Amino acid sequence: MEGLDLSASEPRTEEEKGPPLLGSGDPAGARASPSESSSGQRRRRRRLILLISLALLVLVVIVTLVAGILWRRSQRQQLLHWQGSGTTDSISEIILGRCFTYTRLKRPELRDKNCPEIWNAFKTAFLFKDQCNITEADYQPLEKLANQTLPCNKFLYWSKTYTLVHQYTMVEQDMFTLEDTLLGYMADGLDWCGDPGSSAMNHQSCPHWKKDCSNNPKSAFWKMASKWFAEAACGVVHVMLNGSTGKAAFQHTSTFGSVEIPNLHPDRVPLLEAWVMHDIGGNSSDSCSGASIHELRSLLNKRNIILMCEDDYKPAKLVQCVSHSEHSSCALT
Amino acid sequence: MAALGPTPFWSLLLLLAGGGCAARWAGEGTNRHLRTIFLGRCQEYLELLSLEQRDKNCTAIWEAFSVVLDKDPCSVLPSDYDLFINLSRHSIPRDKSLFWENNHLLVTSYSENARRLMPLCDVLYGRVGDFLSWCRQKNASGLDYESCPTAADCENNPVDSYWKRASIQYSRDSSGVIYVMLNGSDPNGAYPVKGFFADYEIPFLQKDKITRIEVWVMHDIGRPNVESCGEGTVKILENRLKDMGFQFSCINDYLPVKLLACVDHSSHPDCALNSAATSTQRAISFRFKAQGAILVIPFLLPLVSGVHL
Repeated sequence: MEGLDLSASEPRTEEEKGPPLLGSGDPAGARASPSESSSGQRRRRRRLILLISLALLVLVVIVTLVAGILWRRSQRQQLLHWQGSGTTDSISEIILGRCFTYTRLKRPELRDKNCPEIWNAFKTAFLFKDQCNITEADYQPLEKLANQTLPCNKFLYWSKTYTLVHQYTMVEQDMFTLEDTLLGYMADGLDWCGDPGSSAMNHQSCPHWKKDCSNNPKSAFWKMASKWFAEAACGVVHVMLNGSTGKAAFQHTSTFGSVEIPNLHPDRVPLLEAWVMHDIGGNSSDSCSGASIHELRSLLNKRNIILMCEDDYKPAKLVQCVSHSEHSSCALT
Repeated sequence: MAALGPTPFWSLLLLLAGGGCAARWAGEGTNRHLRTIFLGRCQEYLELLSLEQRDKNCTAIWEAFSVVLDKDPCSVLPSDYDLFINLSRHSIPRDKSLFWENNHLLVTSYSENARRLMPLCDVLYGRVGDFLSWCRQKNASGLDYESCPTAADCENNPVDSYWKRASIQYSRDSSGVIYVMLNGSDPNGAYPVKGFFADYEIPFLQKDKITRIEVWVMHDIGRPNVESCGEGTVKILENRLKDMGFQFSCINDYLPVKLLACVDHSSHPDCALNSAATSTQRAISFRFKAQGAILVIPFLLPLVSGVHL
């Protein structure tokens, strides 16, 4: 703002300087002399110089104005700068494309889903709003539209095993992680957020869960989706845990521990089967006999859900072996 | 249609109307929302490419592709996709090409979205059309959503011409070690002597860019072993490639891929791992399959949680 005022005041002072030039021109013109034609020429030249100066002045004013506006905009953008990655490029095409791929190709029983409506419900959950005040409630319309029934005994949860669990369901196509459901499939791996009072996505940055605020659009979405995925579960459910993180395999602060387990319904889910996987040729920091699994068992017992545990569940281990086929533990008899 | 009711009169009318308007082809009709799926896949794929290769315009690529949607569905040539290929083409990393016949799922799982290898469906111009179908109507403008011609109907159909053109480009752009995955349990033989690999890929392999060709003959777990390296059609393939001057090698049941195939058959004797996975479990837990567990639940629950009947 100040820059603008300064530049605005300059032309005025420069304009004030203008007329004196004309005024100083007059004395020269008033001299009656034999070289009147040459003085006329000088007058014309001075007028020309004056006009050019005025034109240059106007140009300078315009340039300064534009620079000022751009500077203001960049200041404003810096104010809304978050610590996390900005909205993914072309997110609308990606999400719509994924929605259609999922409902028409992967799971044609969902072909009646209205993808443009789903995309709209996704957007309206967070656009225009305070980006640090987004909760699961904002995503309720989306949850309703994207709801689907999944077969019992095929639910697979995971904690610290993102890559392996999805390599597994790529082959074992009748098991479902959250990212194999419509909701999870659409949003997997993407970033998104908006700005208060704006219909546009923020492609520069988005709130970081830890460094900015936890009630941001992306975190609220995954909390809503995880809760839905747990509530929808029936039959024997499974979880793939990581026994090579250097820490406990089960942590009650994880999404699995804090959102999914509390939302499992004991009358629909009698049993949870845990697979504690270890890196091939890597360290084992935890296993089925460890304290965290004992803690998990007590937690589940209180809710009338039985826990079964298996270290290095074989089909998942075979997936790991694909990348370590020369390791001794991957040799086939 | 549901609103009209299931009366015989209406059914007959619909049958006549359907028969009169649309040509009946052997293949699946055009996917509804073809454009959205195409654009979404294109945009997503660009994220996988390196920054120098990312300057592609998905809308322009779609425009180039969609010229075939205005053509007679039996008059679409591979060359009609030339502009589409030109705009979507990108380099394929050395030693990452994977050709295949008759094991799409295994190929997709093994290649892991171009992380391990890059088969044609993990290249931009193969990704956008994968599993999709498209064609114009026979005698009218506008897409045919009911059916589209296959090779059985006519040779120059949109989908086959697309894959022919894409296969040619993929071959031309492949370099280093070339991998080929064949199915040695296929009753017709592992190497189809007439097929995309035989007719539109092998002829376009660039000898000066290729170091050698390695073939994996996979056998479905628990299914008969119809052919292996050095046998039948695999021998025909070997002779053909060697005559062309390529260095050739063959492996039966290439281990990493076999391990992947075993995921779905982990209890089969062919999939037994040498090291026994020891499960250390607490006293209350038992080791048996999930399905068996359900039968035991009614007996276990009273033990664990008191009687709630």
